[in-house]
Amino acid sequence: MASSKASRLGEEYVWRTRMDKVNAELVVLTYGAMVAQLCKDFDSDYVKVNQQLDKMGYNIGLRLIEDYLAKSNTFKRCSNFRETAEMIAKVGFKIFLNITPTITNWTSDGKQFSLVFDENPFADFVELPDDGRAQDELWYSNILCGVLRGALEMVQMQVEAKFVSDVLRGNDTTEMRISLIRYIDDELPPEDD
Amino acid sequence: MTVYSFYIFDRHTECIYTKTWLPQTSSTSDGPSSGGGGGGGQQQQHGPPGTSTSTSTTTGSGSGSGNTTMQLRASSADDAKLIFGTVFSLRNMVRKLGGDDDAFVAFRTAHYKLHYYETASSLRLVMLTDTGTPSMRNVLHQVYINLWVEYVVKNPLSPVEHKRGVGVKNELFEMALDQFIRGLM
Repeated sequence: MASSKASRLGEEYVWRTRMDKVNAELVVLTYGAMVAQLCKDFDSDYVKVNQQLDKMGYNIGLRLIEDYLAKSNTFKRCSNFRETAEMIAKVGFKIFLNITPTITNWTSDGKQFSLVFDENPFADFVELPDDGRAQDELWYSNILCGVLRGALEMVQMQVEAKFVSDVLRGNDTTEMRISLIRYIDDELPPEDD
Repeated sequence: MTVYSFYIFDRHTECIYTKTWLPQTSSTSDGPSSGGGGGGGQQQQHGPPGTSTSTSTTTGSGSGSGNTTMQLRASSADDAKLIFGTVFSLRNMVRKLGGDDDAFVAFRTAHYKLHYYETASSLRLVMLTDTGTPSMRNVLHQVYINLWVEYVVKNPLSPVEHKRGVGVKNELFEMALDQFIRGLM
């Protein structure tokens, strides 16, 4: 499709010209320090750490979507969830993290897909704690799930996002599963008395 | 071109920001008494001619009495509600007739023109101008990307939800908006 090709060049352009850049190592170290602190605060209760990362991401997503809408030159709402997936992977991740995860594993009803991350800017240099549990319980980049959940909620999609594999845990790929739960209706103004 | 007033409604249909600009060339005698021209303009003085009957009656009778401000404020809150109801219905009707891709852009009366812009995040921007003004869709888009996102959304200490306008009325946003709009007039 000609239009989608044009828009892909557009993302590259947006990323190069409009986005403020930050040193990659600063991101890795800041994010790592945060996760490490959470592990400490929650006494290595990794389930809670995952939850907390998701919550932080959610709060980021609620705001980040506005920046996405402002920067991405997208004027039309996505007409279906497949288009949404494309925009997340090829525009969202591209302009904010300069990566383009691969979209795969669609379910036949078109409501669930996976994002496979070939590279993950948060996870450079990272090794999970060697306590025998982190490898099974901690989703190191769980903040991304929250970001997607928050951002999509603002554009009227309730989704569930979770990691199902992570190279940090020794899996072959880093894969996030995203399921559309429902489209959120417009809120109506309160009835007048 | 004259801009009369500007409203922002959030996704919970609440009016979270209003601002009124007085017409530069005021034909009536109430120009000097307004006090809103100096850049503040925060208190709702009066809408454009004939926004609603309540506005015109209060401005007509309200030169001196003490509770006028109260009345004006109440009527401007009503105006905001009425405006939201109108644009919301129009938008729904437009989508019903023209398909989901169609967008309601503006309507015009004998006295003013109302411009509408809605973002995918359900933020609705409404601007009232004089009737001769061309489409302000682009202007509203600019307000969204350059002012709203930059000064309200990216303010780390401002809340995500702006209940009763909390976090919207920050100095940077107000100043930049006033400057931007005055630059157009």
